[in-house]
Amino acid sequence: MSNINGKVYAMNCVTPMKPWKTPILRLVFFLLWHIKSKQQDLINLSFIEFARWVIIPRTSFPFLANGQRKDELKYDYLLFFSNFNGTWNQYIDAFSAVLSTGLNLIWRWSEKFPGAIPVTLFKQYIANCQFDTDYYYTAYPYATANDLKAAHIVQASLDQLSQHADGTPEQFAAAYLQFMIQVQSHLGNTGAAPLVC
Amino acid sequence: MGNQNGKLYGLTFLSPIIDDEKATPSHDLQIRAYLATLPTDERSPFALAPGTHLCRLVVMDDVIYVGSPACEEHLKSKYLIFETNCDADPTSYLTGLATSIPQQLDAVWSHCIGYPGATNLQAYLDYMKACQLETTFFFAAVNDKSLPESLRALQTQRAVADFVANHQGLPPAQLQSEFKQFLAELNSCPVPRAGIMAPVRDIKTGGRNE
Amino acid sequence: MSKLNETDIQGFVLRGYNLPFARHLFVHFEDTAKARPFIFRIIPEITTGQHWDNGKPDSTVNIAFTHRGLIALDLPAATLISFPVEFQQSMKDRAAILGDTGRNDPQYWDEVWRDDRIHAWIGINAVSADALDKRSAELLAMMQETGGATPLDSQDAAALVIDGQITTKEHFGFTDGFGNPDYLGFQRDSQPGQGKLTPEGTWAPLATGELLLGYADEAGELPIAPVPHLLASNGTFMVYRKLHQNLATFRSYLDTQAALYAGGKEKLAAKLLGRWRDGTPIELSPDHPDQAITQDPNRNTNFTYAADSEGTRCPIGAHVRRVNPRDAFGFQGRLINRRRITRRGLPYGTVVPEGQPVSDTDDRGVIFIALNASLSRQFEFVQQQWINYGNDARLGNDKDAIMGSHGGEGRFVVQGDTTPTNPPFVCSHLPNFVELRGGDYFFLPSITALGMIGLELVDPR
Repeated sequence: MSNINGKVYAMNCVTPMKPWKTPILRLVFFLLWHIKSKQQDLINLSFIEFARWVIIPRTSFPFLANGQRKDELKYDYLLFFSNFNGTWNQYIDAFSAVLSTGLNLIWRWSEKFPGAIPVTLFKQYIANCQFDTDYYYTAYPYATANDLKAAHIVQASLDQLSQHADGTPEQFAAAYLQFMIQVQSHLGNTGAAPLVC
Repeated sequence: MGNQNGKLYGLTFLSPIIDDEKATPSHDLQIRAYLATLPTDERSPFALAPGTHLCRLVVMDDVIYVGSPACEEHLKSKYLIFETNCDADPTSYLTGLATSIPQQLDAVWSHCIGYPGATNLQAYLDYMKACQLETTFFFAAVNDKSLPESLRALQTQRAVADFVANHQGLPPAQLQSEFKQFLAELNSCPVPRAGIMAPVRDIKTGGRNE
Repeated sequence: MSKLNETDIQGFVLRGYNLPFARHLFVHFEDTAKARPFIFRIIPEITTGQHWDNGKPDSTVNIAFTHRGLIALDLPAATLISFPVEFQQSMKDRAAILGDTGRNDPQYWDEVWRDDRIHAWIGINAVSADALDKRSAELLAMMQETGGATPLDSQDAAALVIDGQITTKEHFGFTDGFGNPDYLGFQRDSQPGQGKLTPEGTWAPLATGELLLGYADEAGELPIAPVPHLLASNGTFMVYRKLHQNLATFRSYLDTQAALYAGGKEKLAAKLLGRWRDGTPIELSPDHPDQAITQDPNRNTNFTYAADSEGTRCPIGAHVRRVNPRDAFGFQGRLINRRRITRRGLPYGTVVPEGQPVSDTDDRGVIFIALNASLSRQFEFVQQQWINYGNDARLGNDKDAIMGSHGGEGRFVVQGDTTPTNPPFVCSHLPNFVELRGGDYFFLPSITALGMIGLELVDPR
C-alpha cells in the first residue's frame, strides 16, 4: 500500500477555506509556533515523525505559463501532510481523544468541518479530504519517532560511558551500572511494523 | 517559522503537470506508472542522494468538493506534490538531488510544465523555486539530528541492546575489556545505509549466549 | 443515561458469575428451518442480568454467534454486511493482523477451529461438576429433539483447586481476576482503579457504550453497530481464545533466569506480570507481596504509574502495564479509555504443583474470553499494538513477555536502580510461553435480539 512504508504512514489532506478566514488560520499557526507550550501536547503524542500545513491562497498555485491554463478559484486551500506511526484509526482516535481543541482551531476554518468530536463524523470528513500517496520514502522504515528518540538517548549515554572506559574495573562497573539505568527503558528492538490489512 | 524547524527543513513543491490530450497515457498517469515501480527502500533515489529523512511524491488530481453549501470548483491543472523532510536548505538540498540522481528527477519531472532538466543546475534551481510553496507550519519530532546522526544512533541502539543483554553478571575486568572491544568495533562500523528495512547487524557483541 | 434493562442483557456481559466450572459448547446449524425454533426454544434458558435475589443458580446458560452462524440463520443480507469487517472475516482470517503467527498460526490450531463450521457458542457455568453435566445434558437433549443444532466440540474449564481450595489462579501460578472495568449503569461493586481516571485523579466508570451496543460511548456518540438498532442494542462482541500454556518451559525459564537475577525468583515472576503471584500489584509493593493490599478492594487495583515513569517498580513492559497503561501515556489516561476490555474466562487442565514433573504437551491453559463493543478498536488493538508490539510504551518491537509470540528471540527488560535487589536485568531468548490453539469472534445478542432471530423478525431498516 503506497501510503505506508515500514512503520510510517503518509497522509495527505486538502480542504477548502473561504479566503476571509485564512488570515485567522495564519494567526493560529503563528501563535502555535511562538507559544511553545501549545506544541507540548503534539510532542507528547510522540507518534508523529514530521507534519506540516501549507496554506495555498487561491491565486498562489504555481503558474509557469508555457501553455498552462491559469486557475481561477473561489477558495484558498489548506494542505496537510503527516508522517505518523501506527494505524490510520489509531492516529485519528488519539487526536480526537486528546487534541480536539487544537484540531478544531486549525480546521474549523475549512468548509464543512464537523469538529473533532465525535470521532466517527470526523473520520468521514478526513476520508473525504484525504488523497493517496504515489511514492513514499523513509530513510529509517524500521524505526518510529519513539525509536529515534530512544536511539539518540542511547547514543548520548554511550558517548558518556566511553569516557570512563579507561578507569579501574570497579570505576568502570559503577559507570556501567549508571549507563544501564540511563538506557534501560530505551532498548526496544526495531524492525517491521504490525500488519494492518 | 515555515520551512525550518531546528536543523530540519520541510520543503513543499507543487509542479503543474503537462496537460496534453494527445499523450497516451496522459502525463499524470505516466508519472504514476513510473513511481509505482520506483524502489522505496535502500535503492530509492532518495537513499542515493544525501539528506532526505522522509519524502513523498503525490499526484494531486484536483481539489476536493466537500458538499453543499460549499461550492464545487476544479483545478485547471494536475499538480505533482513533492513533500520532503531534509537536512539542508533548499538550494543545497536540490543541488544534491540534481548532482546525484538527475536521471530519476528527469524521469518524473519531465512530465511537468516548464521543467528544464536537472543537468543545467541553475535552470533547475530556478524552476524548483517557482514551484516552491511556503510551508506554513512545520513540525518535527526530532529536529536537531542530521540523517547520518540518526542512522548511526539507531545502529548504536541495536548494538547496545544486544551488548547489555549478553553481558550480565560478569566480573568488572572482563566487562570492561569486552566493552572496549565492542566500542572499537561499533566505532569502526560505517553509517548504515539509508532506506534499508532491516539494518544488517555485523557486530558480534561477544559475551554469554552469542 | 438510560437505566439498563437488565432482563434484556445476557448476564454473562453484566457480571462475572464466579462459578467455578464452565463448559463451552460449539454448535453447527445444519438446517435453518430447525435452527430458528431451537434459538427461540433456548431463550427461557438464557441467564439474564437480572439480580439473583434468591442466591446463585446452580448453573447459567448464555449464547453467542459467529458471523457464519448469523448467515446460517438466514439474517437479511443488509444486516449481515452491516456487521464490522473484522467480525465478518473471523479471527482466523485476521491472524496476521493480530500477530497470531509462528506457533500461534491457525495451522497449529485444534481442528474444530480450523474448520469454519462453528456457528454458535453456548456457554454453561455451574457451581459443581454435577450441575454442569446436568445442565449440559438438558441442552444437548434440546438440540437432539429440535434437530436445530449439532454439537461440534465441547471445552471444559474450571477454577484451579490448590490445596483443596478453589482459587482464582492460573497455571503459571499468578492470581487472576483483577481489573475488569467499571461501566456506567452497571450494578457492581465498583473498585477504585477499574474505571477511567478523572482530571482530579479519582476514578469514574467508563461510558456504557464501551461494552454495550446502543449506549453512549467514551467518544460522545453511539458506537458503530449493526442494523437494525434493536438487533444490536444490549448486545456486545465476544472474543474466545484457547490459550495453551507451556508450563514446563515457563517454569524452567523462570528458574534459569532467576538464578542470574539478584531480586530472586518470585520478584522476577512479579516483574514479568506486574503483580506478585498472590496478586499484590508490584507498583504498590515493589519488594514483597502484601496480602493487606491484595485483600482490600479499595487498594488492590488502585494505582497509577505517574511516580514510576522509569519502570523501576513495575517494568514498562510488564503484562498488566501493557494491557492497561492507566496514566503511563500521559493525557490523564485519555488514550486508554477506549482500549479497555471485560474479561471472563477460566483455566483448563490439571494443576501440577511446583517441583513436580510437568510437560508442555499436557493439555492445560486458559480459556480467554473478552467482551467489548468494538473488536477492532479494543481487543484487536491491544493484541496488535500492546501485546505483540511495544511502540506506544516506547519499547519498539518488544512483545509482552508472557503472552507474546517470541519464537525464541524475545527480550524483556526489567528496569532497575542501584538497589542491589532491584538491578537492571534483561531476559533474552524468550520462548512462547503461551500458544493459541483456536478461537473466534462472536456476537452476543440481547434477549430481544434472540427473539428476533428465532422468529425471523430481523428487518435491516
